[in-house]
Amino acid sequence: MSIDLTFVLQIVVFLTMVGLLWKFLYGPLNEAMDARAKKIEDGLAAADAGVEAMAKAQADIANKIEEAKQTAHSIVVSAEKRAAELAEEATLRARKDADAIVVAGKEELAAEVSKARQQLRAEVVDVALLAAGRIVEAELDAKRHEKIINDAIQQGFGNA
Amino acid sequence: MNLTATEPHESGISGHLHYWSYVIDESNPFMQIHLDTMLLTLLIASSLVIFSMWLGRRVTDGVPVGAQNFMETIVGFVNTTVNDNFPVKNPFIAPLALTIFVFILMCNTLDVLPAFLLGNVAHMFGVEHFRPVPTNDLNLPAAMAVSVFLMVLYYEFKLKPVHFVKELMFEPFTNLVPAVLKPVVLPINLILKLVEELAKPLSLSFRLFGNMFAGEVIFLLISFLLLGSGTFIGAASGVLVGLAWSFFHLFIGLLQAFIFMILTVVYLSIAHQPVEH
Repeated sequence: MSIDLTFVLQIVVFLTMVGLLWKFLYGPLNEAMDARAKKIEDGLAAADAGVEAMAKAQADIANKIEEAKQTAHSIVVSAEKRAAELAEEATLRARKDADAIVVAGKEELAAEVSKARQQLRAEVVDVALLAAGRIVEAELDAKRHEKIINDAIQQGFGNA
Repeated sequence: MNLTATEPHESGISGHLHYWSYVIDESNPFMQIHLDTMLLTLLIASSLVIFSMWLGRRVTDGVPVGAQNFMETIVGFVNTTVNDNFPVKNPFIAPLALTIFVFILMCNTLDVLPAFLLGNVAHMFGVEHFRPVPTNDLNLPAAMAVSVFLMVLYYEFKLKPVHFVKELMFEPFTNLVPAVLKPVVLPINLILKLVEELAKPLSLSFRLFGNMFAGEVIFLLISFLLLGSGTFIGAASGVLVGLAWSFFHLFIGLLQAFIFMILTVVYLSIAHQPVEH
């Protein structure tokens, strides 16, 4: 057991070995381990982000479905309302048209009645004139026959 | 200059505890080199560097397999140990700890080779003595411990020079004595702190050396007392005890490598601790 020059040489060997192992062993291995750890970290972060994005997408989907349901419901409600309005409008229009038809019919009927009366009056006058002509031809007694003519006219209008 | 053992030839266990030495100056015991220690450490260091260069070219940041997987386990363990103990980031510490752990572990593992194997191989090449485990030579643990100690001093002076000098001069007694006695206790403080600081490399190196040396001596004892007894029972029990001791010593080697590494990290961590006001 003695300390000699071996001690000095061993210091040189030891320190040289520290440098060489740092350069050729520890450095490359540590870099590889760090790179792998970073890859794993990135992968885990990406997985977490993916999970988060999926949860967000599912929440978005749920929101959109809810919105769509509400939109569809409002569309149905407004369509029903519009249909009711249209039906109401159609009913009113039909009623209005019917009233107009009835009014037009009545007016036409009144016109026809008036026309028929005019025509009848003309025909009665003709008949009266004819009857008067016959009477005049038979005996012309104005006073007596006027009464007869008037009675006839009265009788004719009364039948019309 | 002689290429001989440092001691004359002896028999028994002590005969196997000599180094293969290159003596430069016989009058000065410091001027010699333990060739067996140097040869084995250079072999282990070269193997480690060649392995590192081979592995470094095949490293992938994908799924690690084989040697990369094994080394990543060790690097991960060292990184965790350093990160758990260090208050600040110093990129030099983890490679230092890794080198200490791997190098000492490999040196210690040589101890499980049969006790006389490398010695007998060396005899074939005309070498009289050959110690097979570099950590059994105090020069190696001491070199590593002193290197660590110098690094600790470097970081102490670099990161908190005033605090370190104050600690050397005024701890532990200055605050405990009256003002008139403060100059008197100053040298005592200095001596105590120097002892405390020097105890670190001493304990670090002697712990490793002592454990491994004791392990080798026990291997030699098993070999001489049981295997060399000349009886069947002795030989059989020698094989069993030797095998059991090999496994235990393998564990001791691993434990000593870990202790040396963790203490290095702790000492350097203390040097990096921020000053509390």
